[in-house]
Amino acid sequence: MEYQKPIPLKNQDNSPYWDAADRHELTLQRCDSCHEYAHPPGPSCAKCGSTDLSWVSIGDDVKATIYSYVVSYRPFLPGFQDELPLIIAQAELEKVPEVKIMCNVLECKPEDIQIGMPVQMIWQDIAEDRALPQWKPVDE
Amino acid sequence: MGKITDRYAIVGVGESERSRNSGTTPLHMALDAARSALKDSGLNAQDVDGFMSYNENDSCTSHELATYLGVRPKYVKDIHGGGSSTEMLIGDAVGLIEAGILNTVLIFRSMNGSSGQRVGRGYDPDMLQGALPGGSYIIPYGSASPSQWFGMFATRHMHETGITKEHLGHVCTSFYEHAGRNPKAFLHAKPLTMEKYMDTPDISYPFNIHDSCLELDEANAIIVTSAERARDCMSKPVYIMGMSARQCHPHAHYWSDLDQVASDFVAPKVYESAGVKPEDIQVASIYDCFSWVVLRQLEAYGFAPRGEVGNFVAEGNLRMGGKLPTNTAGGMLSEGYTHGMNNVLEIVRQIRHEYKGTDRQVEGCEIGICTGWSGPDIAGAMILRN
Repeated sequence: MEYQKPIPLKNQDNSPYWDAADRHELTLQRCDSCHEYAHPPGPSCAKCGSTDLSWVSIGDDVKATIYSYVVSYRPFLPGFQDELPLIIAQAELEKVPEVKIMCNVLECKPEDIQIGMPVQMIWQDIAEDRALPQWKPVDE
Repeated sequence: MGKITDRYAIVGVGESERSRNSGTTPLHMALDAARSALKDSGLNAQDVDGFMSYNENDSCTSHELATYLGVRPKYVKDIHGGGSSTEMLIGDAVGLIEAGILNTVLIFRSMNGSSGQRVGRGYDPDMLQGALPGGSYIIPYGSASPSQWFGMFATRHMHETGITKEHLGHVCTSFYEHAGRNPKAFLHAKPLTMEKYMDTPDISYPFNIHDSCLELDEANAIIVTSAERARDCMSKPVYIMGMSARQCHPHAHYWSDLDQVASDFVAPKVYESAGVKPEDIQVASIYDCFSWVVLRQLEAYGFAPRGEVGNFVAEGNLRMGGKLPTNTAGGMLSEGYTHGMNNVLEIVRQIRHEYKGTDRQVEGCEIGICTGWSGPDIAGAMILRN
């Protein structure tokens, strides 16, 4: 069945991120002036205003810990009605802890989710040429 | 703006009926609220030369309101905004009066928040992706409701400070208790016990329906003028001692620096501008789109140290007779919901001692604080006195 959920819309500022995701790779924007990561990416650095920005590959093997979460019992968007309760979380990247990526934690029961829990990025193919970074608990 | 302490006052407050289905337009409700505030102040519509409002594309304009009050105003201003906007527009009004551009300003918020465009129900996914900063990183993951956004902030803060679900419940039961004394509160006849609160299933953990503000059809209006002109008004003026506002965080949903919320920046400034301390505050209106937001602000505004805010509310300090009676009409959790303005109306009435002789009056309160909050990124606050 066709994917019913919203698909990330590419635009001028975010397309390098989503293009890389489609190749199963995580790429983050970083400021060459203040060396801070800029996530979500933008037309210039939200920390210092510099336009000297680069894209840095974090690769395809990405680990994180859960920084915060909610357990959603209602579908507020189309496509989520059959997957409740849904865990929506922020993953703090192991290699770049200042970056928190909003995500779903898949293969995890709501009663098992907790802050500090280790997770691994997985790539969910959602259309022929599109992929969505997701996360699952790391097997102990 | 220089020192404004006691030089400006709120001289009129008013509201429309509140309901789940008004059967009318935001313009009609805004007119009801404005006429009620004018009547309260004793001013004529023609005495008002500035009209301001905030909205989320869900309201009428200030120009429309002025037109149908029969006024041809010098100045109108409509901003896009929610929480904190009341305080920010009052700041603008004071600035324009200070500059000699205006004499008297009416500020309103009108919305069919239940029967019309409903915040908590979410919006069109593609529109949201474009409208929200970093929307493509949020919407594909099913996060489109304020209960999910604020819940994310709450879970982390609760984890760090030891605040529990029961502490959230104390905020809710305190405010519902106040609504029980307020016949105009929407949930006046819906008492909430801790047992009932704890038994209510979550919508977005850590929040259940009681942790979330009501979505209603309602309009509120307030009138601001100089202390000098306030003397000609029929109402007892409530003077503005100090105000402050702040916007920070480029992307509220990516709250990477959790130790920082806008209220933390606003708190020292608002106390400094008013020349008072937290212990001088006797009554509070604390923005309460969600129960947890109250706890984080009590911490920010210095009413209890970080880590002790849960105990502060569990001890009953938000209730009548507590250290800081808060949202004494029931707040947005149980009285009504106009993105914060109904809480301004209530604190004005408390400081005027309008409920004197009843169990709704905070005994002898002279100084109160009113805060606005629109997420970790935006805050505004003002301190008012009798």
